[in-house]
Amino acid sequence: MIQINNLSKSFKNNTVLKDISLKINQGEVVALIGPSGSGKSTLLRHVNGLETPSNGQVQVDGVNIFESDKNLQDIRSSVGMVFQHFNLFPHMNVLQNVSYAPIKVRKLSKELAEKKALELIEKVGLSDHIKKNPAQLSGGQKQRVAIARALAMEPKIMLFDEPTSALDPEMVKEVLDVIKSLAHTGVTMLIVTHEMNFAKEVADRIIFLEEGILLEDSNPVEFFNNPKTDRAKEFLAKIL
Amino acid sequence: MNLDFSGVIPSIPFILEGIKVTLAIVSMSILLGFVLGSILAVFKISDIKVLTFFASAYTSIFRGTPLILQLMIIYYGLPQTFGIDISEFPAAILALGLNSAAYVSEIIRAGIQAVDKGQSEAAIALGVPKRLMLLDIIFPQAIRNILPALINEFTSLTKESAIVTVIGASDVMRRAYMVGSDTYLYMESLMIAGVFYYVLVSLLSFAGKKLEVKLQG
Ligand SMILES: Nc1ncnc2c1ncn2[C@@H]1O[C@H](COP(=O)(O)OP(=O)(O)OP(=O)(O)O)[C@@H](O)[C@H]1O
Ligand SMILES: [Mg+2]
Repeated sequence: MIQINNLSKSFKNNTVLKDISLKINQGEVVALIGPSGSGKSTLLRHVNGLETPSNGQVQVDGVNIFESDKNLQDIRSSVGMVFQHFNLFPHMNVLQNVSYAPIKVRKLSKELAEKKALELIEKVGLSDHIKKNPAQLSGGQKQRVAIARALAMEPKIMLFDEPTSALDPEMVKEVLDVIKSLAHTGVTMLIVTHEMNFAKEVADRIIFLEEGILLEDSNPVEFFNNPKTDRAKEFLAKIL
Repeated sequence: MNLDFSGVIPSIPFILEGIKVTLAIVSMSILLGFVLGSILAVFKISDIKVLTFFASAYTSIFRGTPLILQLMIIYYGLPQTFGIDISEFPAAILALGLNSAAYVSEIIRAGIQAVDKGQSEAAIALGVPKRLMLLDIIFPQAIRNILPALINEFTSLTKESAIVTVIGASDVMRRAYMVGSDTYLYMESLMIAGVFYYVLVSLLSFAGKKLEVKLQG
């Protein structure tokens, strides 16, 4: 379970998250949407400590993740993250990208880590590419490797920050399909996305942010058909 | 114009005797510069304020004053102030190495910081500890930025090593000058030194290019 209490974040004088409180249950799939610059990425990045709060708390399963470096380190190995620009390790092949952290962080044996990595690589449909370097893959393939890399740590939470925004249109579906296949398998998912149809289809909850304020938190049907705030109405009018 | 190389030919072995000295000074100062420079670079990217401050002050001082001043302080200044005796050879290595370390540390720091921020974020998100992240993720990528600049730095160190002649180290430069003043054939003997430095620098650049190609591949 993720519990965010009165979270605020400022960069210098720029307050980008304002007093956000939020509770997400284990296994829930939550889509974070909102205009550019509204603080979606910043909020997401607090859940694995890539950002540090200016105020407030983030708890994962009751543990305050910013209380100590040890908490932070523990949390990070159980929270997976998928980035807009993949951020694969360019000097490692697909298999090495996926097995690196299990070997070095979770201290699995190389054999076991690679066996698990191969299963995950198969799951994302890239078994024919295990020896390739990221530079030899398409964007969609890179992102699927990045998903496998995050899953290799057996996370209980997965964070996705616009996982398809950097992709050519014809590759969006293959990545969204992989993400969909993970939904409702027990792992908690937080997805920042501009793909409204995808959000509608896969999310249990929609969270709408604007200018760092959490404006709406409701189920997709309600949000898309009957948004409570004018801001959300305007946003949807523009984007749909 | 008249050049009389025949007059200096008998002295060529004497000049070339200095190769050993020059190469020893150059290689040992490169080593010192590299080791110390790497340590300073680690200081610079560490989160420990004292260390970053020390490393940037160090760099600022060694880059902000002439090399020849640093050399003279080490050779003439320190013995007088602290009563320690230092001979030409270690003084030359110390001055060139300490000076080079300042440049090397900047090269390594810049190379590391030029690696896409997404790389360290991905590593952090996977729970990779900082030391492993630097070693396994960042450094292998940084080396491609670092190496060409490092070769550059060591090439210029090779050339600058000629200033150790002012404290009397008997390197190629000094020997060429001595032959020049003995035979009054300055031009000829200095040209021999020039050819030597040119060949040495060319060899270094060539080796650097080879290494670069190998690393890219
Ligand atoms: N490291 C940082 N330093 C300074 N300002 C930052 C930093 N990261 C984000 N910001 C600012 O915080 C605000 C929110 O940024 P954030 O990236 O969270 O928005 P977003 O909702 O993810 O936008 P987008 O849809 O464009 O990705 C922006 O104004 C941004 O400029
Ligand atoms: Mg964003």
